[in-house]
Order: sequence, then structure tokens, then C-alpha cells
Amino acid sequence: MNSRLTSPWLTARVQFVLAAIFVVAGVGKILDPPGFAHEIYNYKLLPGVAVNALAIVLPWIEVVAGLALFVGVARRSAARIFGVLLIVFVIALSINLVRGRPVDCGCFGGPKVPKTDVQRLGDMKIAIARDLGMLLLVWQVLAAVKREERERR
Amino acid sequence: MRRDSSWRDAVGIVVVAVVAAAVSNALAGPERKLHWIGSYTSAPAVPAAASPTPSPGASAAAVTPAADAGNAFAPHPNKAWVEISGDDVAALHARGNVLFLDARRSSVYRAGHIEGARSISIWEADADDKVKALFAEGRDQSAPIVVYCSGGDCEDSHHLGEKLYFVGFDNVLVYKDGFPDWEKRGLAVKKGDAP
Repeated sequence: MNSRLTSPWLTARVQFVLAAIFVVAGVGKILDPPGFAHEIYNYKLLPGVAVNALAIVLPWIEVVAGLALFVGVARRSAARIFGVLLIVFVIALSINLVRGRPVDCGCFGGPKVPKTDVQRLGDMKIAIARDLGMLLLVWQVLAAVKREERERR
Repeated sequence: MRRDSSWRDAVGIVVVAVVAAAVSNALAGPERKLHWIGSYTSAPAVPAAASPTPSPGASAAAVTPAADAGNAFAPHPNKAWVEISGDDVAALHARGNVLFLDARRSSVYRAGHIEGARSISIWEADADDKVKALFAEGRDQSAPIVVYCSGGDCEDSHHLGEKLYFVGFDNVLVYKDGFPDWEKRGLAVKKGDAP
């Protein structure tokens, strides 16, 4: 792989961006767990009994993994967690897009502005594209960590 | 062979997150707290035919409290709730003795709600306690109760209707178009914590 893509300079910036996005997203949800539970429920993918537990824990996973990546601890683990989360988000959004069921992403918590169904469906496509872009960042971090480990041996 | 410790680290991150989440949830106030096990039912779905409404005499314009005090909104013990129109809701509100419940978040309730409506947000941890307290008031369980949320695809009022049904209220009426419709009609709105 092109070593520029895994250079320490680029990796440090990618880590910062990923960590910042997930910490901001997580804090937004932590401030309003019932609101996030509502968003999860609206996806209609989980049994009702599991909605609250996910709404309580998921934002904290985002924050803790984000902080780990930010300070450079367990970077590969944090990046893998983000990778799994992003894939799950893309699948959840895609399923509802295929269903033609407009949902609010719920990605960053916070107050919701009323939207039309058409706006929601458009936002879902943007969210999928954004998550796929972030998966590239995750891949960059994993590749950089792998390269660093190889060089240390 | 060298063992990959990253999965162990990932488990560590998740464990720290679960502990932090548990502490955060335990310390949260009633508007932010969640029960770990959700009590939401699957997607509410009642056939359109279930709607008891538009009895011609039930429109706001034509009905006086005395005129519709009969069984235009009779109990429906075999259904958790039925949906009613804005005209019917306005007529019931005009009676003055019908309980209205707002299923939206309490912060939204404070920003504006149907005058006289009480707040029971189904997404907040005290919802079940409020429903039980309502039951403990010894109300007539066959009397109409109007529940509403934000209209459109909002299902909060249906969930609240099911909670009420499960404790024994058998005349729950869901205001299908919800608060936006009420506002559009220019009917009485109140702000703040008080009904």
C-alpha cells in the first residue's frame, strides 16, 4: 500500500476526526437516552425489550472508543469497534430505505427538526454515504496500525 | 504464535462503556432515565375498520356535550385503543370531563399541550408509574380517555393506549393527527408543567 496513506501525519489526523465524530455523536445521545431509544425503536429492527439497553450503552461505547482512539490507546480495538458500528448503521439505514420507511438517523441525538418523509429518505441516503466514508477512515487507521506493528518487528 | 490482544482490548472498551452507562443511567433524572428492559410492544397496528368514529353526531360543530354523552364513544374492551378524528377530539374536549393524556416527551409537553392534558411520556422511565397512579385514582375505567402525540407516523399515543389498556382502561381513544392538528385548529393550548 502507498505509504503516504498510512503515514503518521495522516493517521494522527484521521484518528482525531474519527474520535471527534464519535465522541460528539455519543455525547449527543447520552444527553437524551429516551430520545435515542425512540429513534432506535423507529427503525423497527429490534424487539422492544432490547431498545432501552442499546440506547443506554451504545452512546457510551462510542464515547469510550472515541476517547481511546483520541489518546492513542487500543487504537486497533477502537477502530474495529467503529467499523462494526458503522456497518451496522449502514445495514439498518439500508433496510429501512428498501422498506421505503423514512426514519430519523438518530446519529447525533439532540433536538429534531420536523421533516417530511422525502427529506428523511434523502437524509438517510446522505447518512449511508457518510458512514461509508467513515469506514474508509477506519480502514486507514487499521492499515496504519498494522504497518507500525510490522515496522516494529 | 503471537496473540492478537485487540479483541481483549475491545471487550475492555465495551465493559468500561457498560459500567459508565449504568452509572450514568442510575444518576439520571426521571426525564433522562430509562429502564434497562424496554416495555414497548411491537409496531401497533389496528385495522382501519376498528375506528368507531365518525358517527355523524360526533362532529365538533354538531355535537353538544349533552348530545354526545351517550355511547358515541362506547367502551371497546376487545381493543386496546381506537383512533378518532380531530373533530371528535374537539367534541370530547368541549365536554370538559374527559381525561386527555399527552404521550410526547415532557420537554415537548412543557412547550405546549392541549389545555387540561396530563403528561405521560412513554419514553421516560416514570411512564409505568404514572399509568399505575392513574389507575389508583379510581377513575371510571370505561370513561373515554384521549391520548395524543405528534400525529403523522408518531406511535407514542398508541403505546400509551396499550399501557392504559393493560391496567384496565377500556375506552382509550387515540387522537390520530395529534397535537399539530390541534394547533392547526386554533384550539386551546397551554404551556408549562401544569395541565
